[in-house]
Amino acid sequence: MTLPMKVPAERASLLLLSILICVVLSAAAWAAPVAVPSDETQRLGEQMYRKGILPSGAPIKAYVSGDVPVDGTSFTCVSCHLRSGLGSIEGEVITPPTNGRILYQPRKPFIPGSEFVPSYSNYAKYLPVRPAYTDDSLAALILTGIDPTSRSVLKVMPRYDLGEKDMAIMISYLKSLSDQPPPGVTKDEIRFATVIVEGTDPVAVQSMLAPLQFSIDRKNSLSTAAEKNHRVARMGYNMLGDLSALRFSLSRWTLKGAPATWRAQLEEYYRKEPVFALLGGISEGEWEPVHRFCEEKKIPNLFPVVDYPVLSDTDWYTLYFSRGVRQEGEAAARYLYGMAELFKGKPVLQLYRASRKGQTLATGFRESWKAIGGGAMTEVRLSANEKLTTKKVLKLINQKKPAALVLWDDAASLSALSGLAAQKNRPGLVLASGTYLGKALWAVPEELRGLLYLTYPYRLPQEDSRFDVNVKRVLQGKPLELYEQRIVRQSYLTGEVFGKALMMMRGEYYRDYLHDVIGMMSDMHYPLYERVSFGPGQRYASKGSYIVQLGSGSNPVLERRSEWVIP
Amino acid sequence: MKHHLPWLICLLLFASVLTICPVSPAVAAPVTYKRTVEKYQIPDVILTNQFGKKVRLKTLLESGRPVAVDFIYATCTTICPVLSAGYTNLQRKLGPDSAKVQLVSITIDPENDNPRILKEYLQRYQARPGWDFLTGSRKDIDRVMHAFDAYFRDKMDHKPLTFIRGADGSWIRLYGLISSSEFMAEYKKAGLL
Ligand code: HEC
Repeated sequence: MTLPMKVPAERASLLLLSILICVVLSAAAWAAPVAVPSDETQRLGEQMYRKGILPSGAPIKAYVSGDVPVDGTSFTCVSCHLRSGLGSIEGEVITPPTNGRILYQPRKPFIPGSEFVPSYSNYAKYLPVRPAYTDDSLAALILTGIDPTSRSVLKVMPRYDLGEKDMAIMISYLKSLSDQPPPGVTKDEIRFATVIVEGTDPVAVQSMLAPLQFSIDRKNSLSTAAEKNHRVARMGYNMLGDLSALRFSLSRWTLKGAPATWRAQLEEYYRKEPVFALLGGISEGEWEPVHRFCEEKKIPNLFPVVDYPVLSDTDWYTLYFSRGVRQEGEAAARYLYGMAELFKGKPVLQLYRASRKGQTLATGFRESWKAIGGGAMTEVRLSANEKLTTKKVLKLINQKKPAALVLWDDAASLSALSGLAAQKNRPGLVLASGTYLGKALWAVPEELRGLLYLTYPYRLPQEDSRFDVNVKRVLQGKPLELYEQRIVRQSYLTGEVFGKALMMMRGEYYRDYLHDVIGMMSDMHYPLYERVSFGPGQRYASKGSYIVQLGSGSNPVLERRSEWVIP
Repeated sequence: MKHHLPWLICLLLFASVLTICPVSPAVAAPVTYKRTVEKYQIPDVILTNQFGKKVRLKTLLESGRPVAVDFIYATCTTICPVLSAGYTNLQRKLGPDSAKVQLVSITIDPENDNPRILKEYLQRYQARPGWDFLTGSRKDIDRVMHAFDAYFRDKMDHKPLTFIRGADGSWIRLYGLISSSEFMAEYKKAGLL
């Protein structure tokens, strides 16, 4: 913890005092050997804290303000104090940390290390001071809601009747929460890495890297300036607290060969250089081995650039931009479902390429269509190298008489649709993926434009160009055209969210807390995505898609045909 | 000082987040809740419930049954457990008659809260018939929030609010984190219990 060297005398003595207190306190903590909880105690404690289940298997009971008990399986400690135990802030309501390290210290009217930080997340400014807890006073708080100053906290914090044994397990678990700094964090540096799958298009890789490196360099240049100049140091400290003096580093971890071998490569990189988190990352295909590695080692990964994220309701450590390619299929189903007047008993025909992309889109559509109770559906699969001909399309249309044709393929199939618009018994619309068409999207033949609807999971380009200035800033003068627009914009977002998150962490560099603070962020309006939003436990930044059509003329723009469709 | 300018700017860039939280936190939430009686115009919007069924909000709220409304979302922290525990307790008191009182929760996070998630949330709180959790397009949800003078620009500006419809069509507005027993007392006063 580097403190700025020259501070006004009274402030200096205050700081000195707080350092002394810290030293004395941590010495005291060392003096009394903390019993290391056994794995079993840890597991049982975690089960109470996260799932609301007692070691006996019965639900823990929360007495909400002296009323009928509510089962802990509805909500429990984690719902309010969050996974890291470092608390939450939502609107006007603050839930303080409940990890041993902070509970067993007196609460000051500010967070040590962030004395002057005017941040919203400086929760201690809004809570009354209290002395340090002891095991006994902590048990009393949980049982009765009375804190060591005799204040009742019952208004929002429930009361819990825990037996002596269960209470000991709970307290031991609280002590383990956000206790020891994780790998990759030292007192003057936080290490990050980014994972690059070998063989990925170099322009794509550069587009992913440039904004990240900018965020890292920007932070480090502040630390350098602060070392050279005490005024900058003081200002930095006042605004960012301890963070201002920390340096960041970003390593590149390149994965070679078959995905089955990645795990060992990751282990080796991590063994040589433990990092706090992975930032970005890029793969044109597989990502699952990296996802699994992060899950098992509990390493956060913020926003890899991938088309096929691992979808899970419970996995914790990887945050994705979206549900990937699949999300477009899901949104298409939701959109079509809203057009009931089109169907009148006629089916939807799904025609898809047997590629990974085509199949993923088709699966997303099929599963959503069924889940929302869409009507009849027939499907035709095009093998990997089968050419779709006009003849085949017309035959299918005459056979199945679909109300709508959903077509998941790249531009190769577009020519087969020529003449379709003029057919009498043609479907009411053709729905395809804007991202699967890629650049060919801009060259859809004029005659098809009225019939063809496209999923487009981003802000429309003509509206997104106002963000060019932001993106250019992180490219430091290099022309925007050298980069892949989508990726450089995505990575811009990664840099911003990560910078913002580190500030909100106010000195508590714990992995679960990184995700907890991102979960507490307000919705953001960044390049590319209309709205980037999180909530505790949410893992996909952008969750829907527009349905668009290509306008007419030689220089067409995309025209919105729907609101933001949420699958 | 002049040559420090770039660094100051850099600092400000890095710290841009500080300026985006205009609401002053904590303390603002009243310790005891605030109770007022208001008149609201319910907008005629179609929302979607936990079964994926379309629901006309006006019909649901003006059915003549006793009605309470709150604004929550599935992944919210402290506020929602407290509000939802209030609903759970009320339904428990009502017992087999739970459906006689219409409890409505409206999500302020339509981006995340699809019907499947709404349903899981209700199951988690052991909801019985009579408690519906609604989502909709952001535009429609915004209209509803505005109508109740409860617009949250962002789900992180969330405030604890509960509304109880009085017999004369007016609404009792409860602002603050209310204890379950206070909740009950208010419901009783309004004739829901
Ligand atoms: C509904 C939300 C909620 C739940 C669930 C909850 N808490 Fe709390 N807790 C709070 C709030 C809010 C406070 C602060 C109250 C105050 O200071 O007035 C608090 C305070 C505390 C404190 C005192 C902190 C201090 O610095 O004085 C401890 C310890 C604590 N909680 C532990 C727990 C444990 C353990 C559980 C689970 C068994 C739990 N809480 C469940 C919301 C919650």
